[in-house]
Amino acid sequence: MAGVISDDRRPRLEAWLAEQAGAGRVTLHEEGRLGGGAISLNLALTLTVTGGPLAGEHAVVLRAASAAGVAASLGKAEEFAVLRAAFAAGVAAPEPLFACTDPALLGVPFYVMRRADGIAAGHRVVKTDAPQRELARELGRQLGRLHGVRPGAPGLEALPLPEPSPALDCVRQFRAWMAGRAGHDPVLAHGLRWLTVHAPPKGEVVLCHRDYRTGNYLVQDGRLTAILDWEFAGWSDPMEDLGWFCARSWRFGRFEREAGGIADRADFYAGYEETAGRRVNPAAVAYWEAAAYLRWAAIAIQQGLRHSSGVEPSLELALTGRMLPEIEQDLLLHLDAVDGGRA
Amino acid sequence: MNDPMMREEPDGRGLVEIALKTFREVVLPVVPAEQRFPALMIANALSVAARELAAGDPVDGAALAGLCGDGASLEDLCAAIEAGAFDGAERQAALRAMLWGLTRRRLAVSNPKYAVPVAVPHPAPLPTSPHPRRGEE
Repeated sequence: MAGVISDDRRPRLEAWLAEQAGAGRVTLHEEGRLGGGAISLNLALTLTVTGGPLAGEHAVVLRAASAAGVAASLGKAEEFAVLRAAFAAGVAAPEPLFACTDPALLGVPFYVMRRADGIAAGHRVVKTDAPQRELARELGRQLGRLHGVRPGAPGLEALPLPEPSPALDCVRQFRAWMAGRAGHDPVLAHGLRWLTVHAPPKGEVVLCHRDYRTGNYLVQDGRLTAILDWEFAGWSDPMEDLGWFCARSWRFGRFEREAGGIADRADFYAGYEETAGRRVNPAAVAYWEAAAYLRWAAIAIQQGLRHSSGVEPSLELALTGRMLPEIEQDLLLHLDAVDGGRA
Repeated sequence: MNDPMMREEPDGRGLVEIALKTFREVVLPVVPAEQRFPALMIANALSVAARELAAGDPVDGAALAGLCGDGASLEDLCAAIEAGAFDGAERQAALRAMLWGLTRRRLAVSNPKYAVPVAVPHPAPLPTSPHPRRGEE
């Protein structure tokens, strides 16, 4: 079976890896593609390094940009910088190894990171009889550490600061990603208006993952091994990540376990407060959970449009575009719970 | 709704329904593991299409007119929402009711299993039963 890396590209890639690793020689063995692959290509590799400080065998992932990213995604070089900052802060991000922006090698920017064991699939992670309280706590702790990374951290100078505030910046972004749909879909219009009216004032901004949820972390034997999919990371209100994690959209059927389908919010929040140096503000989390539904709706619209526009005809993208009513139901449920249906 | 001059038999909806049934009964059970995910998506897409072809317009014209006046379009409603016309408690409650109806009807087409059970209020209070208040579960 032909590998993803073509025969003519392989020697140059191996030479580049040897140079990056300070090694005499590196040979790579393809283990197969990983993950959903709709936005990025993730290729599992085993590197055999001869000589230098990294001599030995390494299980890694090569992560490359796809031909057309979605508007929200970071470039691979920026994503690599985020991983470095997170890893340095003690977060269980995969260890970033080498980054390449030279298109001569694979035709697209890419980076290489260590490969962690475990499963990510949401419907499998939530499939336990008992709630996974310690896992939820640990996920909270990890987020608390990530939120210790502030603007000014080395390597993150290119990440834009949200203006005029994280909330209003989000409303503007979501409206843009929706590509006019908020002018036809009154649920979206109502959601964006609600976010505008209830927007919290500008406060501290921290490094947020912005897709921190069940399905984007690896679990092995019930323990967290790695946090994945950092391509949406950016500066924002820390409560945004908490709201996203607890959104109904990612509970994979375990709707009563509000923290990611694995446990109660209390466990997740408690872990967060252990490391974050701030208390969880439940009203703020409620705001950002509402924002989560609008953000997810905007992303689903973008993915549907990638199919409909012909950029990438894909049944998976098409069906994602048709998820709007589910997301909108979850939004209405949440808004009703927040304000009882009345302002 | 279309009233075509020439009625086909079976029509598009009928074809999609029998294609879906056949796919599920004959093809899906023998699909190799690697093609299972695309095969399930195909079945899902056909289900949505069949329901969409069977369903009417999800917009309740009367509800829309109630909010925005006769002849108002969805675009008019969206513009009014954006302008703050539904920010007040009473107006927001009326809007939410309409949005719930719209969303439930759309969800009945795209993913009926995802719909949460509806707490249906009695259309008229019965003399011996308590009148359920809106929002109480």
